[in-house]
Amino acid sequence: MSGGPAVRVSIESQCERQVQEVSLDGLETYVPPLSMSQNLAKLAHREPRSQPEPEEDEGVWGVFYCGAAALERSYVVFSRFDSASVQTPQVFQLISKKKSLATAAQLLLKGAEKLTKSLAENQEQRRQRDFNSELLRLRSQWKLRKLGHKILGDLSYRSAGSLFPHHGTFEVIKNTDIDLDKKVPDDYCPLNVQIPSDLEGSAYIKVSIQKQSADIGDLGTVSLFRRQPKAKPASQMWHLKLEAAQNVLLCKEIFAQLSREAVQIKSQIPHIVVKNQILSQPFPGLQLSISLCHSTGEKKIQRASPDKSKPDDHLYVLEHNLHQLIREFHKQTLSSVVMPHPASSPFGHKRLRLAGPMAYDKAEISSLQQSEGLLEKIIKQAKHIFLRSRTARTIDSLASRIEDPQIQAHWSNINSVYESSVKVLITSQGYEQICKSIQLQLNIGVEQIRVVHRDGRVVTLSHQEQELQDFLLSQMSQHQVHAVQQLAKVMGWHVLSFSNHVGLGPIESIGNASAITVASPSGEHTISVRNGPESGCKVLVQFPRSQAKELLKSDVLQEGRWTHLRGPYREVHWGRMEGRNFVYKMELLMAALTPCP
Amino acid sequence: MEAPPVTVMPVTGGTINMMEYLLQGSVLDQSLESLLHRLRGLCDNMEPESFADHELVYLLKGQQGNPFMLRARRSLLHPTAPWHLRYLGQPEVGDKSRHALVRNCVDVAASHSLPDFLNEMGFRMDHEFVAKGQVFRKGAMKVVVSKLLRVLASGNTENTEPMSLSYLVELSVLAPAGQDTVSEDMRSFAEQLKPLVHLEKIDPKRLM
Repeated sequence: MSGGPAVRVSIESQCERQVQEVSLDGLETYVPPLSMSQNLAKLAHREPRSQPEPEEDEGVWGVFYCGAAALERSYVVFSRFDSASVQTPQVFQLISKKKSLATAAQLLLKGAEKLTKSLAENQEQRRQRDFNSELLRLRSQWKLRKLGHKILGDLSYRSAGSLFPHHGTFEVIKNTDIDLDKKVPDDYCPLNVQIPSDLEGSAYIKVSIQKQSADIGDLGTVSLFRRQPKAKPASQMWHLKLEAAQNVLLCKEIFAQLSREAVQIKSQIPHIVVKNQILSQPFPGLQLSISLCHSTGEKKIQRASPDKSKPDDHLYVLEHNLHQLIREFHKQTLSSVVMPHPASSPFGHKRLRLAGPMAYDKAEISSLQQSEGLLEKIIKQAKHIFLRSRTARTIDSLASRIEDPQIQAHWSNINSVYESSVKVLITSQGYEQICKSIQLQLNIGVEQIRVVHRDGRVVTLSHQEQELQDFLLSQMSQHQVHAVQQLAKVMGWHVLSFSNHVGLGPIESIGNASAITVASPSGEHTISVRNGPESGCKVLVQFPRSQAKELLKSDVLQEGRWTHLRGPYREVHWGRMEGRNFVYKMELLMAALTPCP
Repeated sequence: MEAPPVTVMPVTGGTINMMEYLLQGSVLDQSLESLLHRLRGLCDNMEPESFADHELVYLLKGQQGNPFMLRARRSLLHPTAPWHLRYLGQPEVGDKSRHALVRNCVDVAASHSLPDFLNEMGFRMDHEFVAKGQVFRKGAMKVVVSKLLRVLASGNTENTEPMSLSYLVELSVLAPAGQDTVSEDMRSFAEQLKPLVHLEKIDPKRLM
């Protein structure tokens, strides 16, 4: 109802706290409210009532209340329970114990069963995981495919371009039957491979050059497996097994290709193919043998002659080259030159496709085809290796045998399979800067040695060892005479005559003798040298007539100046000359004949 | 009657009796990459070889029966390479269990005057198309994945349009007559390409 004036109404709430005192100015002081513990103590000491006041906190406080009440011994009393006072008959005890034990045992057994089951599952899973992880590793390196529930793999080189008809299929076997509780062997692997039976073991191709065996009946008994294979257990790591099998397959392919070519190619001296050996004759008196040594490693290899241990003349370089050559051959089948353009034409070399439209004749077509097979290439390489080693041996034997002049050989580091080169220098010790006119470059080919002289002459030597030796000896004798020529320049002597090949005197069986005549600066003396490879050196000195005692005085010469001319020759006992080599001796001689001014 | 001169006698032997074993299938454009991946893994280890070819199909209409067909193909990427002339015979009706289509095939390389020569001989060009794609090989087997393009203006290979949204996949082997193991190898290879592409023998007569 509105209308009347507003009336101010004051409201005061009921006082909740007790008033402690009222001060003189009317201010009331309240009693401070009790804390919780004080409140609890107050309640505990209060007179009990039928129900506790609902405004107090229950729960925790209920416990406190109970405990506190127990301490007061008003409502709750704690008393000890004595179990020994209970007496039951023994039979009941036994039965109850049995029952309780049985229930407990059953529970434990159930739990143990569950545990073993889960453990077994884990182990099986782990084995499967191991097998799967091994399979993954295998797959990352080898080609695998699934056929039914078998896993097959391919270890042949067919996808790399080989045309060898071996299937090269291996099978992957699960090896997870092993009991993991027992001790696991060290070489355990959950994955095992089964390789074809003819690729088991290990193999290599042995290439060696020997002096020709006199008896042709010896063939076929020679090639024994020299390298003893280590005792390999059957459970070898799969990758070693696969690699060994692949190597065996490659060696078989190489040998099959070589023997096919050995039979087909017509050469002057036919190649012999006996069992696992191919024999050919690169040079007369020499035999090249290529054999396939395959050991399965099961039984001990019988040695025909255990005490006669031949030196290992296996040419590792040629074996490596054979592997390289067959891989080259594989790559050629896969090169993009073979791919058809346009796409509907058959595979084949693109040059051969032009044979029809360009009307090639047989000669042109055969020049396009692969001319040299594996066997020819390897025989050429073997010839070169042999020629090179024999050349080196010849030079080294000469160098060790002959001290004056010295022969030096500088072999080049970079060679090809068919050609090597060596630079041969013939020098005299102590006079290398002066006497360096004989420098030979030898290019060692497959069958010949080509020598290029410093002055541009080119000489072709055959493979005969003797030819090279004779040639070097003749060059050494020429060097001595050249050295005298150079020395004369240095000493100031004049060269009167010089000839590399004199036609006078005894005939040499190796090369030709060379001769030189030099005159002293004053002209009073001359030295004549004749040096031949076989006859050695002969040195003659010409003195002025005045010093020659054996000349008869005659009336023909009126004036005294004619006595300054040079007169007769006298031979020098070269062996008794002082000096460590020819040029040194020559220098001493020249010095002796040049009087000090 | 005297024997006809030697030149009239039919030529036998050599490359005349080669048979082509063929399996065909197709993939849609969007599935091409996965097919090429699979082929790269299965086939011989080489760089993938792309090609672009222009094929002309010539017909010689005689008085009787079926016209004689020859296929002339040249490479657009290698213009100096010779032309390739191909004759494909009727598919052999052997036992139905043979897995591939077998037909007689004669392949000849020809110089660049081939179209003029064929015209002079009386052949007339029936149709032409351009095929672009990749070639793979596995041993003797050849897998050709090609996109066929229609030539809009005759003779102009720049102006082309695709005939369909898919690629043609062909697996073929050239072998002398009588080697039936070839079709087994082809079938096992085709198995490995499933389900990306289903290669099967498609009789061209049924498509006519």
